Amino acid sequence: MILNALSITMIFIGALSALLAIWGGISSLILYRKWERPSRPEEKTSLEDRSYLILLIMVIVLLIRLINWPLFYVTLQSFISDIEGAMCIFGVTQVRPGLTRFLEFLKPVNFFLIGGWFLLHLLDRATQTSPLMKRKLLLLSFLSLLVLIDSLGDIFLILGIAPESLVSCCTTVTNISNRPTRTTPLSIFGPEYAHSLQVLFFITHIVLIGFVGLALTLWKTFLRQRLILGLLFLFSFLNAIFFLLSQIEVFAPAMMHLPFHHCLYCLWQYVPDSIVMYLFFILGTFSVGWGFTTELFGRQGEAADLLPGYLRKIYSFAFFFLLASLIMLIIHLLVG
Amino acid sequence: MASNKRWIALFVIFLIIYLVLGCQGERKSVENRCDYDGVKVEPLYTVYFTLQDGTEKKFCSVACASLSFPELKSRIKEVIVVDERSGAKINASQALFVESEVVTVPHVKNRIHVFANKEDALKHIQKFKGNWVENPFLS
Repeated sequence: MILNALSITMIFIGALSALLAIWGGISSLILYRKWERPSRPEEKTSLEDRSYLILLIMVIVLLIRLINWPLFYVTLQSFISDIEGAMCIFGVTQVRPGLTRFLEFLKPVNFFLIGGWFLLHLLDRATQTSPLMKRKLLLLSFLSLLVLIDSLGDIFLILGIAPESLVSCCTTVTNISNRPTRTTPLSIFGPEYAHSLQVLFFITHIVLIGFVGLALTLWKTFLRQRLILGLLFLFSFLNAIFFLLSQIEVFAPAMMHLPFHHCLYCLWQYVPDSIVMYLFFILGTFSVGWGFTTELFGRQGEAADLLPGYLRKIYSFAFFFLLASLIMLIIHLLVG
Repeated sequence: MASNKRWIALFVIFLIIYLVLGCQGERKSVENRCDYDGVKVEPLYTVYFTLQDGTEKKFCSVACASLSFPELKSRIKEVIVVDERSGAKINASQALFVESEVVTVPHVKNRIHVFANKEDALKHIQKFKGNWVENPFLS
């Protein structure tokens, strides 16, 4: 284990959230099963009191897990100097490649689900009768399981990264000509694949912003159509794939002024404000998804009346963040 | 409302200025880095390509330089390497290349060493189980 302030923080957060996730997950599942059973008023009050306690504690745990995603990368970054052969986070990920790859996949999924749950929670709190409580508790028990896996994964990873490990870094993997991010688009678009990817990303991104803008303008029609919101979410997912591919193949090398280097971790290192651009893109894309999940789970009782106003706010955020990430990218390409 | 718009406009202007200045800062910061993967170069293991237009590309190791070589081959005028023993810059065509178990630049696991003198190269071969390798910058 590499001992520094960040690794200790990660282990502390991991242990704390694992314990609370076990307690919160079991408690919320029990409460979910008891929630709408006929019971005496004093039992009902006791259930409500317990639910408030569980929600209060789990909100804090989930907030910590939201922060955990960037903290995970900051911690890996802090290990670079202790791993021989690592020049960026990629090198650190090679010490325990399987577990790190699993956590790198799990963390964005958790971030998305936790964010979606928070929006439901906010919507429910704005009502007087808490019509979404039962759904919230069920989703919370599922989320607790993911939080538990994520937290244990963090602990095992941090404990498993030994100092002075010898690894190969990104140059020997991301720069080779048979990397999948090159060969896949090459087989589809041919030798001019980089240009095609670039154009395709700009088209899908601008179209996505356009659709979100349209949904905001004609919100009375659009924001009530679950199918449209679902399609918009799928389209944002497609756009994210093009974003990732075009970043690796075209934009990251251009922004780093290293035409042969295709490592996104190096991009964050050499062009630190690209992290803000990525943050905007992630929040924009996730906001589109959160709009859909809020519509999917939030249309219930009193919450249904408040839903259109909430959806407008969520899609306004999506519009702002997607536009901001696009502007940042364009400025980098023009000025950098 | 008008006041809000003014603040948003000011924020956007500030953001653009910040990004433009940031981009210029980044350009300066890449000056002392390897032109293949951006890592800081160690003068003793640096390889320099002088291009036909007079510009220079530098690489952190023989490994990075030889990976870039096929792409730049047609534009290269001269390849300069550094003698590991003395630190003197020499033309790659006059240098001796040895591969051994000693890694000079760990992130690319570069095991190719450059010597100007045959005796130094032989000493290295004997001491670190090395063998001769061909000049990787032959066009």
